[in-house]
Amino acid sequence: MALLEEMIKGEKTLKNYIGGEWVESKGELVDVVNPANCKTIARVPISTKEEINSAVVAAREAFPDWRRTTPLARSRLLFRLKDLLEENFEEVSRIQTQEHGKTIDESRGETRRGIENVEVACGIPTLMQGYYSEDIAHGIDEWVIPTPLGVFGIIGPFNFPWMIPLWSAPYAVATGNCVIIKPSSEVPNSQTRLAELVEEAGFPPGVWNVVHGGRTVVNGMLDHTDITGITFVGSTPTGRDVIYKRCGETGKRVIAQCGAKNFMTIMPDCDMDRTVAAMMTSYFGNAGQRCLAAANAVIVGDDDSFYRSFVQKVVDMAASIRIGYGLDESIQMGPVRDKTKKAKILKYIETGIKDGAKLLLDGRQVKPEGGLPDTCFLGPTIFENVRPDSPVGSEEIFGPVMSIMRVKDLDEAIKISNANPFGNGHSIFTSNGKSAREFQYSIESGNVGINIGIVAPVAFFPFSGMKDSFYGVLHTQGKEAIRFFTESKVVIQRWF
Amino acid sequence: MIIHTASEGITLARKLENESAEFYEHLSQKYTKDAETFLSFSRENKKNVIQIDRVYYGVITDAIEGGYAFNLDPDNYAFSIGIPENASYADILKQAVEIENKIITFYTDAAGQSDSLMADVPRAFRLVAKKRESRLEKLQQLL
Repeated sequence: MALLEEMIKGEKTLKNYIGGEWVESKGELVDVVNPANCKTIARVPISTKEEINSAVVAAREAFPDWRRTTPLARSRLLFRLKDLLEENFEEVSRIQTQEHGKTIDESRGETRRGIENVEVACGIPTLMQGYYSEDIAHGIDEWVIPTPLGVFGIIGPFNFPWMIPLWSAPYAVATGNCVIIKPSSEVPNSQTRLAELVEEAGFPPGVWNVVHGGRTVVNGMLDHTDITGITFVGSTPTGRDVIYKRCGETGKRVIAQCGAKNFMTIMPDCDMDRTVAAMMTSYFGNAGQRCLAAANAVIVGDDDSFYRSFVQKVVDMAASIRIGYGLDESIQMGPVRDKTKKAKILKYIETGIKDGAKLLLDGRQVKPEGGLPDTCFLGPTIFENVRPDSPVGSEEIFGPVMSIMRVKDLDEAIKISNANPFGNGHSIFTSNGKSAREFQYSIESGNVGINIGIVAPVAFFPFSGMKDSFYGVLHTQGKEAIRFFTESKVVIQRWF
Repeated sequence: MIIHTASEGITLARKLENESAEFYEHLSQKYTKDAETFLSFSRENKKNVIQIDRVYYGVITDAIEGGYAFNLDPDNYAFSIGIPENASYADILKQAVEIENKIITFYTDAAGQSDSLMADVPRAFRLVAKKRESRLEKLQQLL
């Protein structure tokens, strides 16, 4: 199968988008490398403290006029942006594949999910309405006005370079706030292209800003008194110990969506074929680099025949996955983002072997299609007899590694899932409604799947998370995002 | 090579539509008496491509089993669009019927396999297959 045409050609040096201008950074430049073929596709600046400060100034200056722009007018700009995103759908999808490595189907899926958030935010004239009570006392009325707050920082991860900032940014600007997005410096092209489309849509200067970089930019956001709140998606140590903590210290609102270790409970009454296909996407899709990827497969019951045939089917299907460059349409799994991440995953696999888990499928030696260098590639890896308290069974690996565990009944499956400190996206596969109901009731997980392998809430539902997977109160997406980006101004009125 | 991914399946649908459109455009030039019928088939093929693309791009999300949507062998749906010089009009129409049957089989197989792509994609496939069945009747009438 021939490769689809690459959209990023050459090695562009990326700029920041501040106050409606494309500004060259004074910071150090870092190569952005396509993990599939190891070619440099861009150079991204690691912006300075002065540059993030200038973005805050631009956003702060844009805020008064923007909040006075009517919700209907803001909505029209979002509709225009939505049209542009549709027109450029294929281009932005291929950019994601080039910079991240995911397959083209996965990238298109990510593009669609991002656009859906813009679509929901287009409904801001009604989403942002307050509520009113007449005569709360004789002759006195009271009402709530959701009001925008100012400037928000949006810190994106590497695994969904396009979609994740769109869990926040459309709602923030729809409600009358201004945003500064810091994309992951590993995958900065998607947000750069998005900002170009935002500019083309006609958003006023300073409403939507992009500042590339690393810790300096994050610290600049966290320290700046003119930034009202932060949304963050990334690891638990950074989300909990840096973002959440520092936002608390500086009085900022915060949504910190963090790591995961997702357990998939498989009941013996599941639809085996559909379950196995869902597992392939859940464990190995996006090369396992998803906070909603399943990691542990908890197979319930003492039926050895079911267990053996199920596991064999999983191993056979995983072994047949085509691995290579995601712009080849036949590819089912791309590389992991970079060789450092690959090395970390390899270390976990070695730890699993040392800990006595049985390696049913070894993805360490893989030959990607098309003679590509194996630098960032790994194959699906499946362990059996994994202890839930071992590093492989309990820690976030963020790679294509499945750990199979066996338990006697549903209660035990729920118990070991709940014993894990994370609570992001646990799921059950069953044809029994009672088991499903008991699971959704008792499981400690912000997103719960019933015969769904990747429990990704659509844009009009919150992207939830519990325990070490989430720090904050309100979540991104939908109505909760509207609440996060607004303050409830309560008016009590009496006329003499 | 067997097709598994949603992207490949949609690309194959496009290929079948575009190649058969090309075939009908040739027929319209060669057999002017029925040119309008052939051109209407070609125009309809282009609409089918738009419809299938729209449905696919509308439902594809990162959370569905896009990488494991199909198990299709493209060789089962391959056809020739070359028009042999000595072929009679009846032979050409039989060739058109064969092409249509191959494409109907493709859409029927693909619809049966694409439950993981949500209902929209198989529904669109079945709709196009149904349109083609009525096209078969028109071709039979020309024979």
